[in-house]
Amino acid sequence: MTDRLAGLFFLLLATGYVWLSAGYTAGFGDPLGPAIFPRVIGIPAILLGLSLMIWPQHSADWAGSAGLIRQGTAIALLLGYALLLEPLGFVPTSFAAILGLGLLMGAPPVGGFLTAALAAPGLYILFDRLMGLPLPLLGTWFG
Amino acid sequence: MDILSQLWGGFAVAALPINLALIVAGCFAGTLIGALPGLGPVNGVAILIPLTFAFGLDATSSMILLSAVYYGCMYGGRISAILLNIPGDEPAIMTTLDGYPMAKKGQAADALAISGVASFIGATLATIGLTLFAPLLAKAAIYFGPADYFALYVMAFATIGGITGTDPRKTLLAALLGLMLGTVGLDPSTGVARYTFGSFNLYDGFDPIVALVGLFAISEILFFLEEKAHGGGLVPPGRVFPRLARVKEGLGASLRGSLIGFIAGILPGAGASLGAVMSYSFEKRLSDKGTFGTGDPRGVAAPEAGNNAASGGALIPMLTLGVPGSGTTAVMLAMLISLNIQPGPLLFERSPDLVWGLVAALYLANFVLLILNLPLIGLFTRVLGMPAWILMPLVVAISYLGVYAITHAAFDLLVMVGFGILGFVLRKLDFSLVPVVLGLLLGMDMENNLRRALSISGGDFMILLQSPIAIGLYVVTGLFLCFSLWLTRRAGGTEMPASKD
Repeated sequence: MTDRLAGLFFLLLATGYVWLSAGYTAGFGDPLGPAIFPRVIGIPAILLGLSLMIWPQHSADWAGSAGLIRQGTAIALLLGYALLLEPLGFVPTSFAAILGLGLLMGAPPVGGFLTAALAAPGLYILFDRLMGLPLPLLGTWFG
Repeated sequence: MDILSQLWGGFAVAALPINLALIVAGCFAGTLIGALPGLGPVNGVAILIPLTFAFGLDATSSMILLSAVYYGCMYGGRISAILLNIPGDEPAIMTTLDGYPMAKKGQAADALAISGVASFIGATLATIGLTLFAPLLAKAAIYFGPADYFALYVMAFATIGGITGTDPRKTLLAALLGLMLGTVGLDPSTGVARYTFGSFNLYDGFDPIVALVGLFAISEILFFLEEKAHGGGLVPPGRVFPRLARVKEGLGASLRGSLIGFIAGILPGAGASLGAVMSYSFEKRLSDKGTFGTGDPRGVAAPEAGNNAASGGALIPMLTLGVPGSGTTAVMLAMLISLNIQPGPLLFERSPDLVWGLVAALYLANFVLLILNLPLIGLFTRVLGMPAWILMPLVVAISYLGVYAITHAAFDLLVMVGFGILGFVLRKLDFSLVPVVLGLLLGMDMENNLRRALSISGGDFMILLQSPIAIGLYVVTGLFLCFSLWLTRRAGGTEMPASKD
């Protein structure tokens, strides 16, 4: 089943991809222009996607509901880490992310807290101060 | 003689104090990364690349560091395979077959020593092969025209990962997906913005380094969150000192495994997993008397020699043709391209310091690894007890730190997470990630060669089939695809590990 869905996804993606390439017109001295390569790779992708849809081979096993919730929470944490890194700064966001991910992976609360409390400032000192990579200690929200 | 004098020059580069320090640090870090279950050479190298950029190491030193980490990971992968029955990386799967039974019989120290020596033999022979054959291949590659390069890329995409258990259609689709992602951004020759949907952030396309860290490191985290229970528990190493007689038992298998692994490594796309699988199967056919799978030293030596030899072999097409032979060399290629160094036949003439410094560093790294691996094995085994809840969040923080340090854009961190989710889903669906990376990396070059060939012919596609080199490459590609389809049918698509190394 998952193979059929993947095939359908690739079929739609590649069709859209080739369709969009129609808008790219050739320039001066380049007779085939920027649309040729997308077609060369898009058309085989359409055919392969179709073939996967018709003749699937494999069905993926996904995590149980507990696993899916952990994965979803982790993705939310990772996106939050990316979005808040600049406004909040490296140390507070890393602390929260390391603590959150650690707990998701089954850290005992005290152990997870200690790891995050040591690692977030530790990484900052190691990389910013000792090795000279500029990282925002505190973000724009703190001035 | 020419090669010897150039290699001598390489040793002068590799022996600079900074490079020596990087070799030792890289070997140490690599062995640790390789020993930890779940983190293999690709993840290790992918996480370190942004850091080497951020520290402003020059190209030669960066490549030396990454290669030392690469070789170190290949050595380290066997530690958890033997002691935990968990391969640290995919090529080490074959090592679990006889390594773990040996450990259970209380011969863990012997197994670790046999595999350490086998790794040394495999990697050293492969480095000698690299020294001898890479310059020859580079000379031959000078005759390649645009149409031949296009054919070479087609071969690389069709064969990478294709020979292992994955459905060949998926390998091709993954490569095409990578190529599609690679066309996002401004077209270099006409300046037309393609697939950017008006976002200025996408005008430069996807940074391959950001994509790599996401695909490998972030997807690994998501995988980890799914399966919490692991393997059979740490086997205590037992007697401290390995017995020399047992180490000797593996020598013949190591030599045979090295040769097979080296050849598997040179084939674009086959990589270390195939090297390990082929060496093990060959050795089993040759010398199995019902002992393989129950802790036969030859069953430990052959795949270890094979996977380490393949890692050295995989550097040959990467350096001489710009077409990597394995996942990790694909990641290293990304590094070279990002440093504005174009791997390929001219690399040997333009950057002899880099090439020969790298080769010399590999010889030194092997000795460092042998020295680290025999007496310090206890230290590395202790690391295996470190809980994942400490390690994995740190991997995330270091990935963020590395990517942010080179791009200074939170947008790229979001892209990285996006690639992480993509990588997770693709791996779940049994798509190999390596072709995606290759497509992203080589797409622009492939497109340029195609357009160059077509502008020579005035738009006639027949030019792609007019050179004997190109025709030869297409024939090899066809044979390879037939062979891998046959393998898939025979193995039912599951027996061999999908190439991720």
